[in-house]
Amino acid sequence: MLLRLATSNIKNRIRDYIVLLTGLVMSSAIFYMFANLATNQQLIKSNLNFQYASQVFIFGTILLMIITFVYVMYANTFLLNMRQHDYGLFMMLGAKRSRVGALMVLETLIVGIGATIIGILFGILITGSLSGFLFDRLGLEIQHFNPLYPKAVAITFVLFALLFVIASFMNLQSLVRTPVLQLLKQSDSVDKFKFSRVRLIIQGIAGIILVGLGYWSLASIKTLQLMAIPIALITIVLGSYFIFKSSILLVITWIKKTNWASKKLNGFTLSQIMFRVHDYTRILTITSLLFALALGAITVGAGFHREIPMIANSQSSFTLSINNPTAAQKDSIKKLSGATSYTYQQKLDHKNVYYNQAELDTKPFKEPVPSSDFKKPTKFKNASSKELMENTPPDFAFLAGTPKPANIKIVPDKAFKSAKGTNQVVELVTVKDIPSNYKALTKLTDEQNKRYPSAVDNSGAGAFRSYQFVSSVFGGLEFIGYFLGIAFLAMLASCLMFKILSGTAQDQIRYNLLLKIGTRRSLLKRSINRELLVLFVIPGVLGIIDVLFGLQMFKPLMIDPYYNISILVGIFVIMYLGYYFLTSWLYKLIVLPEK
Amino acid sequence: MSEQPIISVSGLRKTYGGRSEKQYEALKGIDFDVQPGEFVGIMGASGSGKTTLLNMLATLDQPTSGTVKINGSDVTKLHGNKIADFRANEIGFIFQDFNLLETLTAFENIALPLSLQGVRKNQIKTTVYQIAAVLSISNLLDKYPTELSGGQKQRVAAARGIVHNPSLLLGDEPTGALDSKSARELLELLTQINQERDISVLLVTHDPFSASFCNRILFIKDGVIGQEIKRNDRSRNEFYQEILEQLGTFEQ
Repeated sequence: MLLRLATSNIKNRIRDYIVLLTGLVMSSAIFYMFANLATNQQLIKSNLNFQYASQVFIFGTILLMIITFVYVMYANTFLLNMRQHDYGLFMMLGAKRSRVGALMVLETLIVGIGATIIGILFGILITGSLSGFLFDRLGLEIQHFNPLYPKAVAITFVLFALLFVIASFMNLQSLVRTPVLQLLKQSDSVDKFKFSRVRLIIQGIAGIILVGLGYWSLASIKTLQLMAIPIALITIVLGSYFIFKSSILLVITWIKKTNWASKKLNGFTLSQIMFRVHDYTRILTITSLLFALALGAITVGAGFHREIPMIANSQSSFTLSINNPTAAQKDSIKKLSGATSYTYQQKLDHKNVYYNQAELDTKPFKEPVPSSDFKKPTKFKNASSKELMENTPPDFAFLAGTPKPANIKIVPDKAFKSAKGTNQVVELVTVKDIPSNYKALTKLTDEQNKRYPSAVDNSGAGAFRSYQFVSSVFGGLEFIGYFLGIAFLAMLASCLMFKILSGTAQDQIRYNLLLKIGTRRSLLKRSINRELLVLFVIPGVLGIIDVLFGLQMFKPLMIDPYYNISILVGIFVIMYLGYYFLTSWLYKLIVLPEK
Repeated sequence: MSEQPIISVSGLRKTYGGRSEKQYEALKGIDFDVQPGEFVGIMGASGSGKTTLLNMLATLDQPTSGTVKINGSDVTKLHGNKIADFRANEIGFIFQDFNLLETLTAFENIALPLSLQGVRKNQIKTTVYQIAAVLSISNLLDKYPTELSGGQKQRVAAARGIVHNPSLLLGDEPTGALDSKSARELLELLTQINQERDISVLLVTHDPFSASFCNRILFIKDGVIGQEIKRNDRSRNEFYQEILEQLGTFEQ
């Protein structure tokens, strides 16, 4: 009977439950995605040559746990509000409090654990497809990565189950304390939002100081070392919270006094925003942090993505060398995008490799100029025959394609022609963009390795070999950056979307009334658009500022963490706006009555 | 001024339910007029069709057939923005559950219809203060609805209903959620508004006490108007007695 009561209600309020479940599923799925990386010690150790990597992941996990906790509490309040009228009714009809309490715990656990299980499955699915997509696009191979990682499944499940047990006991507590009559009356209590200006100003100043402190600690990560991260974590969380609570309310109070505020629905929109900012402080703080994390992670990912080919290209003037290319290989070289190539004649005897001096004069071999300023792109200079013979650059030495290093002899045209040995050519291929040709280049390299095995395993001439090597060192960071960036963005959007959509029951009454007293629909829509836009923009702006400072942390690791930052922010903002439009569309769909 | 009726309803029918569903006729042909400056009550039991009728008058619902003219224009022909503008300019509402916006202060709630019409800020201020003085709520203007009592809320709602000087004020059981003292005060206020500001008032109620403040009462039963009584020069108390008698026989 208890179970039937619990399930029958779900049918009646399917729309609310869909919102609730989607929110919970998303949050557990994303937590799983994160846990999959964070709990995989092998993955972290083998892919992240970064001394604080596992600590960073521990802090990340703690932060995500806090966020998840707040999120689950929101969801729980939403669930309780949805059900409390029925609970009151059951009690009025004579059900014992303990019985109703048991029903409530049961419901919370069914919804929560059900959502967690679906969420984990969903998480495994997106982890698989997202990582597949990223590996494919980025041309990476990551060791020890597995979308289905049992340890992460267990941790996610235990954490969420625990959270829902806590939540259901909190519900029980509030049920025991609330009188039946109050349960029956739908809660239309709106938080009073009278506030003392002095207190707001103090909070605002405290917020700015705290955030400033956080930024300072990130910027001075070199001196503070590992302590910078927890300091920044605490101060930025608290600081953003205070800033939301105070400065925005003060600004809106000020705008409300202007003439603009008395036009059409402007006053109403402002009041709505004020009310929401007050009500949403926690979620907005979380959103801004997630925004920062997501953007930061993607920026770092993109930074490494850009730096890996840069480092690789600085090692060698060409991408790949192939000895005696076959017709099929020549064909696939033609198909490479942005590729140029030239060939050298070679003659091999058992000890030496001969080059034609004339050929090297017309097509000089280029070697990198050593430079102390590693931020500038590497310059290349023409290597003289003397240098090539006496001080052979490693990539030139590998051109022979012999298992043992051969002596290099550069001789005049006549001597070259008369030299004894097998004729051979080497084709030096250069592509503009390695990642976009990754697959074809890998294939060519593998073939070359098979036909002309070199003395050292899997090493040879050209930037692509360096690329493969650097990728194995930094690729993990790059992958994690992108992966977490996308995960955090999804979490942030679903957090904000969930909070906004879960409040629709009350908002619906408001918009209905405004329609009744003669507000045009177009005006109402505009008011809603603006209101939600502000709710999205505020954490976005704070998040971007967070990132700009947070990137300081990567200065020791990257050449220039701020490179191309405006483009990345731009792309991110576009994705974020996509979520805004989706939320606003869904919100209007729910809130505005049909014509 | 020509004595054009403020409300003119003729042959009004409303059927709920589509062709394939079970049909239910809520209004079965209603005709009546309300003259400018009248204070009219519509009485009827639950399910008599009085709320349906009010929704038609308020342009919140479309009739199946028949016309509703308010101030000479046929409101059943209006669509979209025109309906919104018509409501914003011509009609004021008072609801049983106040329907104040809890995110706005009393002042902002009252000012809303004027803001919607694009009235200037200073003009809004003076008008709201005037109305507030008339309804003796001047000291409540800075408060939020959650800080007000039921009676105070309904006065703020009444102020919002008349602040834009509509030609018609519609009340849907406005005393339904009030205690008897607040109810009496509100009804006296409505009488005052009706007489001093020359706004026609139409009240839907099932409470004989509320109805006794009207000049004329229409009794509605099962979707038709069954009876009509007028107060004329009688005292409110006498009228109240007649309403009670009418109700006794009418509802049999």
